[in-house]
Amino acid sequence: MNSVLLIEDDDRIRLSLTMALEDEGYAAHAVATAEEGVAAQRRNPADTVLVDLMLPGMDGYECIRQLRRDDDVPIVVVSARDDTHDIVAALEAGADDYVVKPVQVKELAARLRALRRRARIAVTAPSVPETSVLTFGDLQVRPEAGEVRLRGEPVAVTRTEFRLLCELADHPGLVLSRQQLLQRVWGHEFGDERVVDVHVGRLRHKIEADTGSPRHLVTVRGLGYKLQP
Amino acid sequence: MKPIGLRTRVSAAFALGALILSTCISLMSYESTRRTLFAERERTAVRAAYFDAAVVNAGIAGADPNVSDVLRSLDTGSDRYVLLNRDGRWYSRSAEPAADAAVPQALRDMSAAGEAGAQRILRDGRPELIVGIPLAGSATFYEIISLAELERTLRTLGLVLAAAAIMVAAGGAAVGWYVTRHALRPLAAVAAAAREIAAGDLTTRLNPATEPDVAPLSAAFNDMADQLAARLQRDRRFAADVSHELRSPLQTLEAAASVIDKRRARLDDRTATAVGLLTAEVGRFQSLVNDLLELARNDQPAQCEPTDLTELAVRVCRQRNLPADMVEAVDGTPETWPADRRRIEQALGNLIDNAIRYGGGPVAVRVGPGWLEVDDAGPGVAEPDRANIFDRFVRGPAANARGDGDGTGLGLAIVAEHAAAHGGTATVADRPGGGARFRIEIPGAFS
Repeated sequence: MNSVLLIEDDDRIRLSLTMALEDEGYAAHAVATAEEGVAAQRRNPADTVLVDLMLPGMDGYECIRQLRRDDDVPIVVVSARDDTHDIVAALEAGADDYVVKPVQVKELAARLRALRRRARIAVTAPSVPETSVLTFGDLQVRPEAGEVRLRGEPVAVTRTEFRLLCELADHPGLVLSRQQLLQRVWGHEFGDERVVDVHVGRLRHKIEADTGSPRHLVTVRGLGYKLQP
Repeated sequence: MKPIGLRTRVSAAFALGALILSTCISLMSYESTRRTLFAERERTAVRAAYFDAAVVNAGIAGADPNVSDVLRSLDTGSDRYVLLNRDGRWYSRSAEPAADAAVPQALRDMSAAGEAGAQRILRDGRPELIVGIPLAGSATFYEIISLAELERTLRTLGLVLAAAAIMVAAGGAAVGWYVTRHALRPLAAVAAAAREIAAGDLTTRLNPATEPDVAPLSAAFNDMADQLAARLQRDRRFAADVSHELRSPLQTLEAAASVIDKRRARLDDRTATAVGLLTAEVGRFQSLVNDLLELARNDQPAQCEPTDLTELAVRVCRQRNLPADMVEAVDGTPETWPADRRRIEQALGNLIDNAIRYGGGPVAVRVGPGWLEVDDAGPGVAEPDRANIFDRFVRGPAANARGDGDGTGLGLAIVAEHAAAHGGTATVADRPGGGARFRIEIPGAFS
C-alpha cells in the first residue's frame, strides 16, 4: 500500500483528509507540525508527503527544504494560498507539485499517483541493465539507470526533475509545450504552467553553466522548452 | 451659455488693463506734445509778426505811403496772411477781399488799447493763429498764420498713439494668455495625475515641491489618492481574506463529503439524497470561492506573452470533452498572439461552460487575430439583457428558468474582467441562424 505523510496544522482538515486518503487506498500518517513531519519522515519514510505552507513553528517552505535535503521523496504542497509568489517559492524550495485548497480528494489522489508512477520508473530502473545513453554535448541522460551526468560527473536531481529531463531528452531538439510537459510528467490534464517553469529553473541550476543564457535547456518563447546539445 | 474660461477672463483683464494704461499715456503725451508744439508755433509766429510789423511800421512812417506796396514787400510764405488797419481802413497784400472779418473783436479791442495780442481762430474751418500788433499812429498790424500743417502733424501723432494703445492692449492679452498658461500648468499636472489614477495607476502622486504655490492642492490631491488606494486595497484584501478563510473549512467539507460519498450505497435513500445535495453544494461553494478570489485579484495587469490561441482553445475544449474540430481558426490568424494564457484559458472556459449550461451547448469556437468567439445553440440573449449580462451575480433568463444550481453568477463577469485586463472587451451578439455569439477581443499590445 502506498504511504503518505500529511503535515497539516488544522485538526479538522487533518482528520478529514486522512480518512479521505485512506478511502483512496493510502496508508496515511498525519502530523500537526513541520518538525514532527521531518522527524517522522526520517524515522519511517512515506512514499509521498503532503505539506501545508502555514504551519506553527517551522513553516512549510523550510519543511520542504529539510525533507528535500534528506531525499527526493515527492512532495505536494496543499495550501490555501494561491499567490504566484507563494507557489513559486514552495516549488523553488523543492516541492514537486502544488494544489490549492480546497482540493478534491480524487484530484489529489490522481496527482499523488502520477508522481509515484513516474517516479517508480526511475526507482526501479537500476535493476535494468544500462541500455541507452542520451547525449547532449557534455550532458548525458541515462533514462533506465536514472542517472544524469554533466562532463562525466553525476548530477543529483529529484525524480520529477529527472522525469522532466527524460521527457525532453526523448525528443531531442523538439519543442515541448508546457501543457505537454505537465501532462506527461505531472499527469495533469490541465494545470498550472508555473510548475513546469520552476522545475525547468531548478534543472538549469544543476545542468547549466550559466542559467541566464542556458545552453542545453532552452526556452522557445510562446511555445515551450527543448533540450539541445 | 458656455461659461467663460479662466484663461479668457484673465487675458481679457490683462488686455483691458493694458488698454486703459496705454490710452492714458497716449492721451497725456498727445496733450503735452500738442501744447508744446502750439506754444512753439505761436512763439515763432509772434516773433515773425513782430519782425513784419517793424518793417510795416517803417514803411508807413512817411506821409501818404503806398500801404499795399509795403505789405507786398513782406516776405511771407503761403501760410501767412497779413492785414493792416489804418485809421479804420483795412489793407491787405492782394486784391483779394480783406479778411478783416476774421479778426475777432477781443483782439481789436486789445489793439485799440495799444496792446499786442494773439488768438487762435477757425477761419473757413481751418485752424489759424492771428497776431495783432499796434503800430505807430492809429494803425494795427495783423498777421494770420495757418496752423493746418501743425494740425496734420498732430493728427498723425494721434493715429500713431492710438495704434500703439491698441497694440499694447493686444500685447497685454497675449501676456495674459501666456501667464495663465504658466499659472495653470500645475492644474494641468493635477488633471494628468487624476487621469492616471482613473486609468488604474494608483501610485500616481504630485510632488508639492515642484509647484510651491499649489502645494495645498497637491497635498490634498495626494491625500485623496492615498485614501483611495488604501480603500481599494482594503476592499481587495477583505475579499481575498474572506475567500481565503473559507478555503480551510471548505477543504474539511470536501474531504468529509468524499468520505460519506464513498459510503453512499450503505445509506438509506433519504440520507443518500441529503448527502448528494451536500456534496453538490460543496462543489458549488468551491467554485464560488474560486471565482470571488479571481475577481478580487483581477486588478493586476495581464501577464501577456506570445500564446498559441488555437492550441489553447483546443485544450480548453478537450478538458470539457468537446471535439477538437469544434475549434476553427479563421484565415490570417497569426501563430501566436500576446495574451495572459491563464486568464484567456479561464475566460474561454467560462464562455464554453456558459454555452453548455444555458446555451444548448457550444456549436463552434472560432479563433481570429486578437479575438475568440463561442457560438451556442440556445435561445440567444435578448437585446435588453446584453448590457448587464457581464455584471456580477447577474443571471440571464436562461439561468433562472433552469433553476440553475451549478453556476456562480460570476462566470461572465470574470470573462469581462479578463478581457478588460488585456485592454479588450467581452460582448454578446446574435449568431446568424439562432443562438448567441459571445466574443472576447484582446488587442495585441504587449503589457
